[in-house]
Amino acid sequence: MKFKLLVMLSLVMAAAPAAWSAERIEVQPQALYTFDEGSGDVVHDRSGRSDPIDLKIDKSNAVSWQKGQVTINSGTSIASSKPPTRLIRAIQDSQELTVEAWIAPKNTNQSGPARIVTISSNTSLRNFTLGQDGHKYDARLRTTKTSSNGIPSISSQDRSLEPRMTHVVYTHNRSGATRIYIDGKVSSDHKVDGSLSNWDRNYRLALANELSGDRPWLGSLQLVAIYDRALSNDEVNQNYAAGVQATAGPSSFAGLGTSAGDQLFVTQVAPLLAKSCVECHDSATHKGGLDLSHMKSAFAGGESGKAVVAGKSHESLLWDRIESGEMPPEGEPLNSSEKTALKKWIDAGAAWPVDFIDPAVYAMNDSDQVWVQRLTIPEYIETVRSVTGVDITQEAHELLPPDLRADGFRNTAYNLNVDLQHVEAYAKLARIIVDRMDIGEFAKRFSSAKSLNTDATARKFVSALGEWVLRGPIEDREVTNYSGIMTSVASSGGSYEEGVGLLIEAMLQSPRFIYRIEWQRGSGTERSANDYELASRLSYIIWGAPPDKELLEVAKKGKLGGQQEYENQIRRMLQDPRARERSKQFVIEWLNLDRLENLRPNTDRFPKWNPELAKDMRDETIAYFEEVVWNQNRPLNELFNAQYTFVTPRLAEHYGLKPQGNGQRRYDLANVPSRGGLLTQGSVLTIGGDDASMVTRGLFVLRDVLRGVIGAPPPGVDTTPVPATPGTSLRKIAEHRVANESCGGCHKKFEPLAYGLERYDGLGSFRMKDEYGNALRSDGQVLIPGTGQPQKYDESAQLMDLLANSDRVRETLTWKVTQFALGRPLAAEDAPEMQRVYQQAQAAGGTYSNIIAFLCTSDLVRKVRTEK
Amino acid sequence: MSLRPMNRRTMLRCLGAATIGLPLMEEMLIQNVSAAQAQVPVRAFNVFFGLGIPAPLQTEGFDGVLEPLAPLRKKLLIMRNVDQVRCDQRGINAHYDGASGAFTAEPPDGEAKSGGPSIDQVIRKTHYPSGLPQGMVPTLIGGTFFRRSRVGRYVHSYNMDGTVAATIQESPRAIFDRVFGTVRTAGEGEDAQRQRLRRSVLDAVVEDYRFYTSSNSPLGSSSKSRLADHLDRIREYEQRAYTMKNRQSQGLQLPPRSDIPHGGPADPGGQGIDITLEELSNEWRLLTDIYALAIQMDRVRFGSLTFLAAGERIRLKGEYAYNGKKVWDFDDANQLNASGDKGCSHEWWHRFNEKQKNEQLRAHAHMKMREVAHFLKRLDDKDSVESNGRTILENSMITVSTESGDGRHNDVKRELSGVFHAITGANGRFKTDQIMDVGAEGIDVYNTMLAAHGAKDRLGPDKRDSREIGSIRA
Repeated sequence: MKFKLLVMLSLVMAAAPAAWSAERIEVQPQALYTFDEGSGDVVHDRSGRSDPIDLKIDKSNAVSWQKGQVTINSGTSIASSKPPTRLIRAIQDSQELTVEAWIAPKNTNQSGPARIVTISSNTSLRNFTLGQDGHKYDARLRTTKTSSNGIPSISSQDRSLEPRMTHVVYTHNRSGATRIYIDGKVSSDHKVDGSLSNWDRNYRLALANELSGDRPWLGSLQLVAIYDRALSNDEVNQNYAAGVQATAGPSSFAGLGTSAGDQLFVTQVAPLLAKSCVECHDSATHKGGLDLSHMKSAFAGGESGKAVVAGKSHESLLWDRIESGEMPPEGEPLNSSEKTALKKWIDAGAAWPVDFIDPAVYAMNDSDQVWVQRLTIPEYIETVRSVTGVDITQEAHELLPPDLRADGFRNTAYNLNVDLQHVEAYAKLARIIVDRMDIGEFAKRFSSAKSLNTDATARKFVSALGEWVLRGPIEDREVTNYSGIMTSVASSGGSYEEGVGLLIEAMLQSPRFIYRIEWQRGSGTERSANDYELASRLSYIIWGAPPDKELLEVAKKGKLGGQQEYENQIRRMLQDPRARERSKQFVIEWLNLDRLENLRPNTDRFPKWNPELAKDMRDETIAYFEEVVWNQNRPLNELFNAQYTFVTPRLAEHYGLKPQGNGQRRYDLANVPSRGGLLTQGSVLTIGGDDASMVTRGLFVLRDVLRGVIGAPPPGVDTTPVPATPGTSLRKIAEHRVANESCGGCHKKFEPLAYGLERYDGLGSFRMKDEYGNALRSDGQVLIPGTGQPQKYDESAQLMDLLANSDRVRETLTWKVTQFALGRPLAAEDAPEMQRVYQQAQAAGGTYSNIIAFLCTSDLVRKVRTEK
Repeated sequence: MSLRPMNRRTMLRCLGAATIGLPLMEEMLIQNVSAAQAQVPVRAFNVFFGLGIPAPLQTEGFDGVLEPLAPLRKKLLIMRNVDQVRCDQRGINAHYDGASGAFTAEPPDGEAKSGGPSIDQVIRKTHYPSGLPQGMVPTLIGGTFFRRSRVGRYVHSYNMDGTVAATIQESPRAIFDRVFGTVRTAGEGEDAQRQRLRRSVLDAVVEDYRFYTSSNSPLGSSSKSRLADHLDRIREYEQRAYTMKNRQSQGLQLPPRSDIPHGGPADPGGQGIDITLEELSNEWRLLTDIYALAIQMDRVRFGSLTFLAAGERIRLKGEYAYNGKKVWDFDDANQLNASGDKGCSHEWWHRFNEKQKNEQLRAHAHMKMREVAHFLKRLDDKDSVESNGRTILENSMITVSTESGDGRHNDVKRELSGVFHAITGANGRFKTDQIMDVGAEGIDVYNTMLAAHGAKDRLGPDKRDSREIGSIRA
């Protein structure tokens, strides 16, 4: 099996999207100068950011322009007219910096150092300077641990500077790792401690001279890029390999190529149509003969005439009915800005760049809120196990309040709030964990010195320990804070082991342990995740656990930003047993299997019910999932029609199968037409309650299998379930509702999905007649969201095949896995990237591993959303 | 600057209605401590201040940096020319050696141990060999300090075996709780020391959450509010877990958290902290008032109090006035034109030159004397009068000392000679109202003090011949 998995993964990776090419990396710099002006005295910032930092050449006769290059022949400054506040703030927020340049120094005599790139005020006050000092490059960086002149500086190797076109890159990351690369090779590797919090925001940016004009540099400039993150080795190499004339990768400036009309439709018109119109005017309901969910039908109009006439809002009935307030007939009318957008869109030509308006895409509002993720209980348990070796499963479940489901999953970040009980539990658990640890042995991994002396070794020890426990390097602030515990213990005459134990207790309660902290502040756009953030994202997505030693090592070396190593790690991690366990957590939450623990059917109605069956049902689905997903490595959609299952003799009997042996066993269902697939398992069928509600079952299939959207019943409607009676089966009651004018518009979208399940009672037993002797049917129809034509089926097995072969189901599974992986519901802004993940994963085989692999290589994982 | 004196009455007002009716508080309200005591108890306290007073400045008497002690002159014996050179350890920071020697006359014995007991503990053992009366805090160690690397820099009460005599209480709240409260934590059944240490864990956790909810947080607004919620819950937990209990099980509110750094943040790797005079003074006044109150309430008879650690590193700012007259504008970093550790007041000691004004050093030392004097005065007020008609200050063995007699680090002998000392009369045992050139080793001075208290134990090596310093005896 392992070999098979490996082959599959190799295939996945072979089809990965971001194969190396001659393109530069896709990271958008904060400032970018490509010197392609050709003349004049202005160098434009080509970063594509809304607030460009253009530079002015002080003496235009001191320079000469060539294609994509400017040569400074005599001293002049090329400087911003005002402080580049955006740039400085972004660098301060991230605490990281890269300055990349393609340059050709005129000679090896220039010194001072001669300023190549500088953010400074004069010869003694600066935030940063990259300069030339004879045969070396020299870089000064102001931090809280260096002087206001950025001293001590770091230099490239002696004689590393030559008067030829050279790729020079300076990187500084949050941990202090600071490098100078020359032509892709590390020429200098130092640690520069301290934070950038003391950068002066009044300094200006300049090239080729100090701001005071007295440290000129002569030579040619072909590219200067400044980033608010430290590029990794691989990224530097990619840019070097791409060469001086290379362009950025395709997704750097995504969105710029689409027309304004497209943008208007995607960002404003489609959401409002989804919210206010398509519930009644979609392919399924098309009230008044109007289907606004597809371009063709929308333009064709309905019984009253043309709904949309491109370029002419005054002739468009859609605009007419909305402007007059006639539509929408219920709910909130469109507000003025929505109306303005709609009119503007029609008048601008009514661009329609999508296949159809999928309400599921717009079900969640795009939000600029970014929620930090608290560890869920399973994640907490795995994190404790990984970090300390202690199994805290039982106590964690006993003490921590349960994580509550939101939008279908328990790990939805916005809902992972915290209460007093959490705080108490974390404190108690930390104490229990430490009590179970061999502190002396644990501490040895980080320091051989057993000292509480913070002047000597304790700070280094705290730093090393913190890096492991808190999943990445810790800052001086943290070292200082946690070292205080050591000194408190020392000052009370406590032992080294006592000090370390209490230190670990504190770290186990700290924000960086309990939460997955990322750097969320920035420009309000996306930025690339740094190596440690990527490590944490990968490990919690794939394992639900923290990065292991190898992953942290790779992150520490700055290699995770490189595609090859990144893919290697994903491949390795997917083969780890923790990936299996994590996937089981997915199916448990997606199908809400925890619900079975509370299953209490009416014993009068189900006298043969054995409470043990609930556990058997849960175990059945998990074992079935594991077989399909891991042991057979089949596409995820086969969960709906695989012809086997795993049941106990007790559950086999419940299902009407002939019991075999003891314990849970695999049963072949090829000759059992009534069983086969998730929807024929008791764990799912019990969703409908004792009455086997078609409404509840149908809604489950619509929402959780087909990703359909349906509104709440109108106010005042009696939603009390109508029970079957002699002569009236549930099917008849449902058909009556679907045929009802006021109910059918919505009910026809989901109740028929449950028709095929009618022969399964509330606890999943199969029968041909209900308790009143009514004959039960298994035929029905499936209406896939976005389509107007229902697909009919005669037997439930055909329903399972229809679902298993549906692109909509495959897509939904991708979305569900992604939602669970990211810990947040997906919104319209995620849709384009989700579509890419879906297509790539399907092309590679459509397995769970395919989805996870392509998800991890997508921007959904590699980019961090920031807030201003 | 708002400095609110805290005495028994204001304390009660601060605590509010919840305190009324409690036996302890009734006692505080209506009963003078002395009325309950047939005999004046033996007490001993060590008061330490960091960085010291260079010997030449001590010769100026009360006209110089000792001016704030002048109102107490009749109750103090100022001792000059006390030699602590025997405490020097080769290769070890002189700040640390000198501080370890204060009150013990011994060099340190490892990172967290003194070479021997401190004065207060020898006297405690002598007079209370079976322990103090029930309900008393055996030893109360408190202080404000921003240099934490080695315990000897800031802890100044040591057991007979050289181990620390108690956990140091670093904030007014901690002192208050230690004296008047009991602690309950997740670790029910743990010993009190362990429970108090667990509070330092919570303090560190709180500090970390505070960062993530501050303006420097890397988190966006939603995430920040989530962590702010978490912090609120921790504070709620803290209140519940550590609410002080009294005999009637009515909880009292802890004094508020102080605003100055404590724990780890108080010493960012020896780089020093920025602090204003107002912040520092407010903290000290509350701390010393509570400490003094504990003595007045007879909850504490032994211990030590630290006004900045040895080799302290702070960058102080603020106008300093004494008796309505401006003394100095503190602005260490700017006046030193440096940041980090090089911008700290410590540098004024490195730069001491007796031929120059040394204005900054003088101002710092003067200010510390003002704060020490405030504490001593609290034990000399009308609430402190005891059955023999003398005040607690007069009846107690209070020793004020420091780390060095010079701060230039270029002459160990000079540095550890002439270390400032001042003692109280200890109920008539020692001379007061004098400034005396003792010209003796600290160990002999201390042993003389112990002898006067009837102690058989002596500081220093067993075989050493002690020298009685009779000149200090009354």
